[in-house]
Amino acid sequence: MVNHLWLKGRLWFDSLVTKNSLYQDYLNALTSQFNLPIAQTKLMAVDLEMTGLDPKLDQIISIGLIPIYQGSLPLNQARHVMIGIEGSVGHSATVHGIVDNQLADALTIEQAMAWFLKQTQGHILVAHHAPLDIAFLQNNLASVFGQAVMLPFIDTLAIERKRYLHQHGQLIEGCLRLGQSRERYHLPIYAAHNALIDAIACAELLLAQLSAMGGINTIKCHELVNVAK
Amino acid sequence: MNASELQPIEQFLQTHAPFDILTPELIAQCAREINIGYYSKAQAFVEFDSVNPKLYLVRSGAFEVRDPHGVLVDRVAEGECFGFSTLLSGEKVVNKVAILEDGLVYHIPQTIFSTLRASSRQFDTFFTRAFAQRLRNEQKFKAKDLTTTSRITSMMSSNPICLEANAIVKQAAKLMRDNRVSSVLVQRNKQLVGILTDRDLRNRVLAEGLDGETLVEKVMTHHPKTVLPNALVFETMLMMSEHNIHHLPVVEDGQTKGMITSTDILRSQSSQPLLLIGEIDRQDTIEKLIHVSKQIPLLLQNLISADARAEEIGRILTSVTDALTRRLIVLNQQLLGKPPMAFCWLAFGSQGRQDQVACSDQDNGILLAHEPDEYAAAYFEKLSHAVCKGLDQCGYVYCPGDIMAQNPKWRVSLSQWQKLFEKWIVSPDPKALMHASIFFDMRAVFGPQSLFDELQDSVLSRTKDNDIFLAGMAGNSLQQSPPLGFFRKFVLERDGTEVKGMDLKHKGSALINDIARVYALSAGIKEVNTAKRIRALIDRNIMNRKDALNLADAHEFIAHMRLANQGYQATNNLSVSNFLKPQDLSSLLRHQLRDAFKVVHDAQSGLKLKFMRSF
Repeated sequence: MVNHLWLKGRLWFDSLVTKNSLYQDYLNALTSQFNLPIAQTKLMAVDLEMTGLDPKLDQIISIGLIPIYQGSLPLNQARHVMIGIEGSVGHSATVHGIVDNQLADALTIEQAMAWFLKQTQGHILVAHHAPLDIAFLQNNLASVFGQAVMLPFIDTLAIERKRYLHQHGQLIEGCLRLGQSRERYHLPIYAAHNALIDAIACAELLLAQLSAMGGINTIKCHELVNVAK
Repeated sequence: MNASELQPIEQFLQTHAPFDILTPELIAQCAREINIGYYSKAQAFVEFDSVNPKLYLVRSGAFEVRDPHGVLVDRVAEGECFGFSTLLSGEKVVNKVAILEDGLVYHIPQTIFSTLRASSRQFDTFFTRAFAQRLRNEQKFKAKDLTTTSRITSMMSSNPICLEANAIVKQAAKLMRDNRVSSVLVQRNKQLVGILTDRDLRNRVLAEGLDGETLVEKVMTHHPKTVLPNALVFETMLMMSEHNIHHLPVVEDGQTKGMITSTDILRSQSSQPLLLIGEIDRQDTIEKLIHVSKQIPLLLQNLISADARAEEIGRILTSVTDALTRRLIVLNQQLLGKPPMAFCWLAFGSQGRQDQVACSDQDNGILLAHEPDEYAAAYFEKLSHAVCKGLDQCGYVYCPGDIMAQNPKWRVSLSQWQKLFEKWIVSPDPKALMHASIFFDMRAVFGPQSLFDELQDSVLSRTKDNDIFLAGMAGNSLQQSPPLGFFRKFVLERDGTEVKGMDLKHKGSALINDIARVYALSAGIKEVNTAKRIRALIDRNIMNRKDALNLADAHEFIAHMRLANQGYQATNNLSVSNFLKPQDLSSLLRHQLRDAFKVVHDAQSGLKLKFMRSF
């Protein structure tokens, strides 16, 4: 989706101009990934639960992470954290099922962002409808570290939109949602929803998509990667 | 991450056997160690990681396990597993797993699999059973039904005789004569255009008054039916019978790959016991008989892989030996002339008991109706030497102990045989007892049954309730014990350097034969086959029914393990022996084998108690 030389250049430039050493390490660790086939790329599926859909107003409640190595998901490396928020979760509780008292031993947003950078360093992020999650992460990283950072990502929804349009010509309401997309690949239905299960569900969808597109050994990372503009 | 966060995965485990019997803690522990993989049909086969074997639990999709020959072993769908054979046996993956439908597979690493097996006996048994079942399936699918699963490439002739279409009939006939075939394929530009058979020469040439100059093209069958090289024998047979044809060219992409005839198929079936015995009876020279006997090892292999009962295998192979022996006697009589008196050809030992495996030693003798004169002695000397030699050439090697009809000691009259048995029974010294264990398992393979009965009746009347003799026999049979050590661990035999394993014949089957023989002789039972002896002992209330049934089961199980092991040795080009290495067994089979040896051990104690009390 983007030229990998341009991406590499952009990462290198960003790491030069950033004054934050955490970011420098983060960006440098990514540069070697783009020209590899997916089988050898280090990927990290991510899903967030939020209090709403506006990255400027709403807050992150939890983060689920699952790495994808060599086309499989090691569940013993799956991670899930809760984040303490300002004020009550309010009405959003009806959506994600997380209520205030579950957040008792949660991390602060500062801890959570530092933890996130450490966990995902050297990994390309994968998410379903990624621009939203990425925007939340970038906003929070900017407010914690005083500076924004580029996060290259793979969006399973964008992949699915392209494949769906190619096969069906036009989109149907809701057809690109995670559950419906998974159904098309005969992936099982996961009843419970939290950030971790959704991250796993998204990672499984990517594997199914990749297999349908020719396999993890033939597709290269940069063919799928996008950056938030 | 707390335990419930992998809920969908845990839920899946909780609802599928054998995980459903695990505690929630173990399920959570297992779920955390799972590696989720995705398999696409486009990959065709699952690639196995030989360094880190794992259990594959199918979450979605469909898979097929096939053995190295491509024969179906198992179909696996949601909630079912594959890969456990390697985990249980520690052997390399040999089976291939084909991906029929895309799907998710949970990889469960060996370490956690071992933890689960160790923590739940039921969980462990589930997989050892599944493993044993799959082993049986593998063998069953392989050979039980040779016709339905094998492909014609294995039996077609791959260099068919071909001719150009512009040749004349005379050339075709000559070609067929010189190559001793009943048909030729007709080609034009290397493409098959027709077939000409014996029948065509008769019906379309000779009967029509055509001469040898006729073009082949004019009388051949145009565009004959053909088969693909990967066609099943079964399909091919069906096609031949449907169209009433006996010759099928094997063609792929227009290229002639071979030719298969009904005779080829028939020949491939001839390792079936009945057909083999029929063939033995038809042979009119000793050379041909020797040639036919070469099929016996194949017959054994087929029987083993068809998972036949060990007792049946022994009876079938012995029937073949009996048939061969009888045919050898008849053919030699044709050379030597009519025998000067009635006689029985006696089979001893394993042939007597009908528990032969392939290529056993010979143990035989001749029972003459009365004392021979000089002519008769010479006649039987020639006959016995010829038959023993024939048996040797057929794969039944000369007996190292010289218990053979060609030894004049074992070629005597009824009264002499009676004296010999009498001597063994009255003074049971160790040598006599050793002889007795071979000679008491006797059967007449050829000759008048009444003559044999006279000998056997007199012997049994002597042994029945003969306490001293029976105590000697019992004592002799207690010299060896089953290979169980303290705490019922297996005791293995070594020959200096290498562990040979457990001797399933001498420390297993033979001990049961001994036990059954002592009881049978004590009761005057005529049966010599061990299973039949045990049944007769139950019928006459001589042995406790439960103990006797256990002993019969143990006999079958140990014999089965011995045969299966020999089948394994033979197919892997190892030297065939009676030694089994316990580490080659699954834990379930090991458990069962230990139980079987325990039964033998108990039966020995029973024997000692019953026959050796006062000695």
